[in-house]
Amino acid sequence: MKRLPRRDALRALAGSIGAALAPSGSAGCARRAPDGRVEASLWFAYGGNNRKVLLALVEQFHAAQDRFRIHATYQGDYFEALAKLRTSLAAHAGPTLTHVIGEVVPYLAEAGVLEPMEPFLDGAGRDSLDLVPALAQDRGFVGGDARPLVALPFNRSTPIAYYNKTLFQDLGLTPPTTWDELRLVASRATTRDGRWGFECPIDWWFWLALVGQAGGSLIGADGAPTLGGESGVRALELWQTMVHQDRSMKPPPGRDYNAWQVANTDFLSGRAAMIWTSTAFLRYLEDNAPFPVGAARLPRGVRASVPTGGTLFVMPRGRPRLEQEAAFAFLRWMMAPAQANAWATRTGYIPVSRAGIAELEASGYYRDHPSDRIALDQLACAEPWPWSPDLFRIEREAVQPRLEEAVLTGKAARAVLDEARRVAVEP
Amino acid sequence: MRPRSPLHPYLMLAPTALVFGLFFLYPLALALHHSFYAWDLLTPPTYVGLRNYRSLISSGELAGTVGRTLSYSAVVVSLSVTLGLALAVALDRPGRLYAFVRASVFSAYVVSWVAVALLWMWILDADAGLLTVVLRKLHLPTRSWLGDPDVALTTLALVSVWKITGYSMVIFLAGLQDVPRSLHEAAALDGAGPWQRFFHVTWPTLRPSAAFVGTTSLILSFQAFDVVRVMTQGGPVKATTIFVYAIYEDVFVNLRVGRASALIVVFFALLLGLTGLQLWAFRRASGARKGTA
Repeated sequence: MKRLPRRDALRALAGSIGAALAPSGSAGCARRAPDGRVEASLWFAYGGNNRKVLLALVEQFHAAQDRFRIHATYQGDYFEALAKLRTSLAAHAGPTLTHVIGEVVPYLAEAGVLEPMEPFLDGAGRDSLDLVPALAQDRGFVGGDARPLVALPFNRSTPIAYYNKTLFQDLGLTPPTTWDELRLVASRATTRDGRWGFECPIDWWFWLALVGQAGGSLIGADGAPTLGGESGVRALELWQTMVHQDRSMKPPPGRDYNAWQVANTDFLSGRAAMIWTSTAFLRYLEDNAPFPVGAARLPRGVRASVPTGGTLFVMPRGRPRLEQEAAFAFLRWMMAPAQANAWATRTGYIPVSRAGIAELEASGYYRDHPSDRIALDQLACAEPWPWSPDLFRIEREAVQPRLEEAVLTGKAARAVLDEARRVAVEP
Repeated sequence: MRPRSPLHPYLMLAPTALVFGLFFLYPLALALHHSFYAWDLLTPPTYVGLRNYRSLISSGELAGTVGRTLSYSAVVVSLSVTLGLALAVALDRPGRLYAFVRASVFSAYVVSWVAVALLWMWILDADAGLLTVVLRKLHLPTRSWLGDPDVALTTLALVSVWKITGYSMVIFLAGLQDVPRSLHEAAALDGAGPWQRFFHVTWPTLRPSAAFVGTTSLILSFQAFDVVRVMTQGGPVKATTIFVYAIYEDVFVNLRVGRASALIVVFFALLLGLTGLQLWAFRRASGARKGTA
């Protein structure tokens, strides 16, 4: 083997370090793929089946046009991806395109790190995208239509109930439509040998659904976080009662999506008769359950209510214009009826395109797949997110850890939420 | 040796000093600076004086984190040192079987933390885990080892002990080679039993090894992160939020760089204090030995 002279080796090393340190692309020069197309980076946080569907769509996009290429990179779950996004933004090395949960959009927008998207519409106006308003920025957020467009919906969801059809049939049960029925059904489906009637991640998303159903909302009319007031307490107490008194609900262990995964696994293995989780898992659960899977709307308290979930696509500021155009072209293509429907029907998310939904209706898709309709129908009672930059911190720092505390230790719901409110207003 | 130029020693030191300064002193100074600010990484920081420290104390976060970290460390250090010593003494014998057992025990130390954590999650699963199934078969009570706030930290500590005991065993095995056989034989001839021989012959020679193992496992236990990140993410109910994880959570989850920096400063002071204490104890012990010699 020919040995590299030391000086040359050092020179090569210095060169490569220099190249690595040089600001790549942020100076206004768009990245190009080897085939000459403009390349935009996409950081995504879909795992499992949803990841496969996304990557298939990206490939389809590459085949459908010859100007742009999307370099998609998996970045862990929503929260891991968000941590990476914030760090990369601080270092001016963010991706061209990524997606974030709704709760964090106001914070990022107010921090001024999101690129307004309307200029990419070539004067057509945001209505030209023909999106489902409750899922888009316009109606998904309180006053979202009055703000510059910074987020576009793609994988949007609501929580729904899944139940083991065989088991429900054997026990003569129907999916609960009220809180009282929920407790009754859960108790009847629980057995002593390790089957739980009900399982739901102790997550703020499901707690918010309960708060809404109890008649409350997260933020008061004056903009201060009320955490639902009495409704917040009643929501938390319902869980506490089912876990400690009825012993009919299993709080799945683990934090964040680990707990969601446990709930899914318990449902698939028959250890839980009914679970609440996102409509996003519809295809996954149907494909993997050894029994027919039923889906139902969440029960009513004093009213019906669900939050919306999933993520919206955002373009961080600071990338070259050409790259952003590539990213937006991809977004627009993804939001067109054909792609929006392909994504929704292969995953379980709600289609974001109005025309797309009309197509699915006309083709009889919902008649054949009634479970796909549940989340869509629930949009009628979907609660928009408040446009509060503190929303994300209220979720992650004030509420989420305390819900777990209340449910696992049985600490008084009122005291726990008082403490959460105190932390929520902490500067 | 006399340097040819008075600058030479400093030039020799420069690379190390540079790396040390760049990757240790500078970040530490930066953390100290940030600890007086409220900052979320994205918007400009605002000066808040000592508020981060005050809220760490008043919210009980500091006391809780220090308490959890110390109790985790206490279990990890005491058990890994004791078990490592016991294994070393038991396995310090010739023969293939012993060599195989020694290698098996040490292998856990070589495997990555993430793999170990995943393996134990599978064993400890509250419903279908190996341990749960076995305990149920034996009609013994079982718990949610990782989901119960009362036992989760101990569970993590025991997993860590399982992982690092092989390391302390190897250090003790090396220490055992220093014990002269003649001393053992002489003690045996004088009628000393196995326990007496251990306490009066083996243990005094092993003391430096024990100090070394104690220090390194203390450092290792304070640095624990992977096992928490993979197995419990600090939960349930903060039960396993130990120092490094608390810092991570404040920066990346709660968007509070200032508070995390304050934690870093406190963590540094705590470690400095512990190291000082250990050095002092070690010097005193060796000083006392010199005095009696």
